[in-house]
Amino acid sequence: MRHTCSAPGDRDAPISAQPPGREGEILTLDGLSVRYGSGPSSLRALDKVSLSLPRGGALGVVGESGSGKSTLAMTLMGLLAGSARVDGGRAVFEGEDLYALSPAGWAGMRGRRIGLVFQDPFTALNPAKTIAHQLTEPLVLHRGLSETAARAEARRLLDEVGISDPDAMLSAYPHALSGGMKQRALIAAALAGDPDLLILDEPTTALDVTIEAQILDLLEALRAERQLSMIFISHNLGVIARVVDEVCVLYAGQVVETAPKAEIFAAPRHPYTKGLLASMPRLGAPRARLETIPGRLPDLTNPPEGCRFAARCPFAEDRCAAPQPMVSVGPGRESRCWKAVALGATPWTSAETAAPARARTVAADAPPALRADGVSKRFRRAGGVRVRIDRSGAIPVPRIGHSTFNAVDAVSLTVKAGETVGLVGESGCGKSTLARCLIRLIEPDGGAIALNGRDILKGRAADRRTIARTAQFVFQNPDSSLNPRKTVRQILARPLALLGEERPGTMDQRVERLLDMVRLSRAYMDRYPHEMSGGEKQRIGIARVLAAEPKFVICDEAVSALDVSVQASILNLLADLRDELGLAYLFISHDLSVVRHIADRVAVMYRGGIVEVGPASALGTPGHHPYTEALLSAVPSLDSRGAERMRLAGTVSAPGDGITGCRFADRCPRKIGPVCDTQAPPWRTGPEGVRFECHHTADALAG
Amino acid sequence: MLLYFCQRVAYVVGIVLVVSLLIFSITQIMPGNVAYVILGDFAPLEQIHALEEKLGFNDPWYVQYWRWLSQIARLDFGDSLIMERPIGPILWQAVANSAVLAVISIVLVAVIGIWLGVVSAVRHGKASDHVVSIGTYIVLAVPEFFWCIVLIVVFAGSLQWLPATGYTSMDEGFFVWASHLVLPVVALVMGLVAHVSRLTRSSMLEVMQSPYVVAARARGIPEARVIRGHALPNALLPTITVLAIDIGVLMGGMVVVETIFSYPGLGRLLIFGIQQLDLPLIQAAMMVVAVIYALANLLADVLYAFLNPRIRFGKAAHG
Ligand code: SF4
Ligand code: SF4
Repeated sequence: MRHTCSAPGDRDAPISAQPPGREGEILTLDGLSVRYGSGPSSLRALDKVSLSLPRGGALGVVGESGSGKSTLAMTLMGLLAGSARVDGGRAVFEGEDLYALSPAGWAGMRGRRIGLVFQDPFTALNPAKTIAHQLTEPLVLHRGLSETAARAEARRLLDEVGISDPDAMLSAYPHALSGGMKQRALIAAALAGDPDLLILDEPTTALDVTIEAQILDLLEALRAERQLSMIFISHNLGVIARVVDEVCVLYAGQVVETAPKAEIFAAPRHPYTKGLLASMPRLGAPRARLETIPGRLPDLTNPPEGCRFAARCPFAEDRCAAPQPMVSVGPGRESRCWKAVALGATPWTSAETAAPARARTVAADAPPALRADGVSKRFRRAGGVRVRIDRSGAIPVPRIGHSTFNAVDAVSLTVKAGETVGLVGESGCGKSTLARCLIRLIEPDGGAIALNGRDILKGRAADRRTIARTAQFVFQNPDSSLNPRKTVRQILARPLALLGEERPGTMDQRVERLLDMVRLSRAYMDRYPHEMSGGEKQRIGIARVLAAEPKFVICDEAVSALDVSVQASILNLLADLRDELGLAYLFISHDLSVVRHIADRVAVMYRGGIVEVGPASALGTPGHHPYTEALLSAVPSLDSRGAERMRLAGTVSAPGDGITGCRFADRCPRKIGPVCDTQAPPWRTGPEGVRFECHHTADALAG
Repeated sequence: MLLYFCQRVAYVVGIVLVVSLLIFSITQIMPGNVAYVILGDFAPLEQIHALEEKLGFNDPWYVQYWRWLSQIARLDFGDSLIMERPIGPILWQAVANSAVLAVISIVLVAVIGIWLGVVSAVRHGKASDHVVSIGTYIVLAVPEFFWCIVLIVVFAGSLQWLPATGYTSMDEGFFVWASHLVLPVVALVMGLVAHVSRLTRSSMLEVMQSPYVVAARARGIPEARVIRGHALPNALLPTITVLAIDIGVLMGGMVVVETIFSYPGLGRLLIFGIQQLDLPLIQAAMMVVAVIYALANLLADVLYAFLNPRIRFGKAAHG
């Protein structure tokens, strides 16, 4: 597949004999290709990728799953696994052709001159070794330090990445550390060899948003202090926007657009980039219906000759069937689309017939679909066993006591019929436990819960089946919630059968109706889960929930595992279903932009309790609980807003026991003083009807 | 850690008690009345009754059980019905003989099994991996006694390198002693090596794909160190548990192997007891087997905890 090259700036030209490491560039990729497997089923994960990174620069690589972005990281580290191999092109790092290196040459490169920080800090540290061991190992190996000198240096590195107690950290095992601390330790380990280039593969994806903000701050600081060059790989455009200067968009293994950061977000030129940006819910934008990118990635074992995006592109024409070279679309900008210049600022339009956006107002007197009052749940603290002597009786008896904590602490919440309430909070705040308590997937310890006006903790309405007919749960991961050995027909028939014979039509007709509702064709009836994409699987998950004809649906991180463009279409689907069927949602997510987009009201949870409830539209205006404020300012956004960002120190606090004052007192940047520790704060009402729990008045917080 | 240890000990004690109850009840319903075994099939009925009365067989079962258990706990195993001698010395001699066999075997299983597993994982997909895999499948596919016979026919029969059966004490010279051990040990070890190497291979392969191993490589740690220092300690966790379970399998295998090779160990003693319906002997031998097995499991748990910091230091309340 040789490209015809004509356009200026085309870097698909046949590769020259000399390593083209250009002046001032630390890394140059020239037509780099990577193939998995061999024979007809082989797959080109990267196809002639050409990129350059100036010394001290930071390049963001954006792509959705299947774009080849993680393959790129592994390729640059020379760590391709299994059947993957470089099958063309070269990567020149500081004048050295990486793929001409001997194993010894690689040994001098990996960890010493190129460092890598991984996606998931939770699994990237060896569970059987102390942090000290994992940090000093490269120091001893690469820098020839003695054990003691290495330990001192490890301590210094931990200090540099912002660990407040490096000595404690050194002797700790990974399981004792929080995600943010782990990621800091991993960054320290990557810096141990004093590399010139740091590759970051989704370094914050697994972290909470306030922790993500801390890590991004750290990366910015490190970049400035150490003159590090960085390649920052992520699916999250907002995160990328924080750290990098240049952005490169990958689609189906090809670079489709490169441009300086500010320009690409303000004025994307490739249709795919436009679609990607349009399908992102944003905190600052009006809450209109999201654009989507219909269709799916081409089959990479047999990719189309021409533009790989053609099947999904609303601007496609005949000429798009020819191979597309990169064309210049401005100074320092290129796009793999012949139409890019002509399209200019033409916005993305999804081919999907857009339903007219309805003005949403939930009647003030709508009956509650869910009313929860003082719901509590205590859990045993893991490993918190204590033996105490019980002297209450005549003879003292030793008793084994388990220390417990309030995972959910007297939470009251109402969701009206037809209303969507968003529930946000960081991991461990108790939001998932609360959700499970609400439909008795977990048995609450106390409180009252009524679904559709019926108390589900007592009496006839309390049995599983009755609850299932009013309330249903959409899970985060469609992969693990669909039985891989059942077809879609079988998956959907089960909950339908539960409804009994009272519904019209044969089983097949009823399954078809469900598929129609989630906008899937009937061809899906006989497919197995593995034959479907993530978005399609989530649609089946939703269809299964709809089979029970519920009135109240809990969506627990229902779109978190999906790519941006797929997420948009699922959000639209959920909104449509709500309007068509009059569903009420409790929409749980860690992603404030998503929650703000879909919800009518938002509840914010911290350490087991709700600290704020208010209309979703108010999330853009001042006057919030300090925790909400911190969450909002931690959300990475495309427009580099907020010179003074509010930062939370420390990690997400554990759900507590016997919180006497304010739940947030341990991390609150606006803490008043001892009063916050000792006295429970009052509920205040701010502008636009936001209610929150704080000793400050709404005016003081808005100012 | 201490709490964990106490929990495990309590668990093991519980298991041994349950097993002792089982052993006791199984022997109670064994065919062939004990009194007949002692007095012969044609003894007069009054004598039988008198003996049963004397042996306490007319007491309720729990009284009998308690009596038996407290005797055993004092390591007083009573007299063998057939040999008419105290069981203790016979049993301990057999245990010692078997222990020689078992210890050599389990050490070999651990060393060879883990080594083969690691080698085939590291050379995943290469010729040596395939050779090991095919070899282990062949060994596992055929039952133990078949390999015993093959070994005897080849090495004792045709080649005449080694004695086919029997046992000599060390006094007759180390090589004579050792030569009697070779075939039983090989027969015992083959299946278990195959088992352990399969398991080590798969857990090693899994660990070598794990992010922390890739991360160690990305830090530029040389591959040999990555395997030894990062992959192996984690990959061995499941292997250790399986080794303990294999001690049980080993003891089962020893019954077969000792019988075929006429090796005077615990397994052969147990078979002898069963053939002769020597009730106290059977009970004693089975209790010893059960206790050894339970202790092996305890050892595995403690070792597992020691290698796994998550248990060693107690799980942090919030990770
Ligand atoms: S080349 Fe054609 S199909 Fe491809 S992005 Fe451009 S307009 Fe769309
Ligand atoms: S009550 Fe005090 S600690 Fe709590 S949020 Fe308000 S200012 Fe912060």
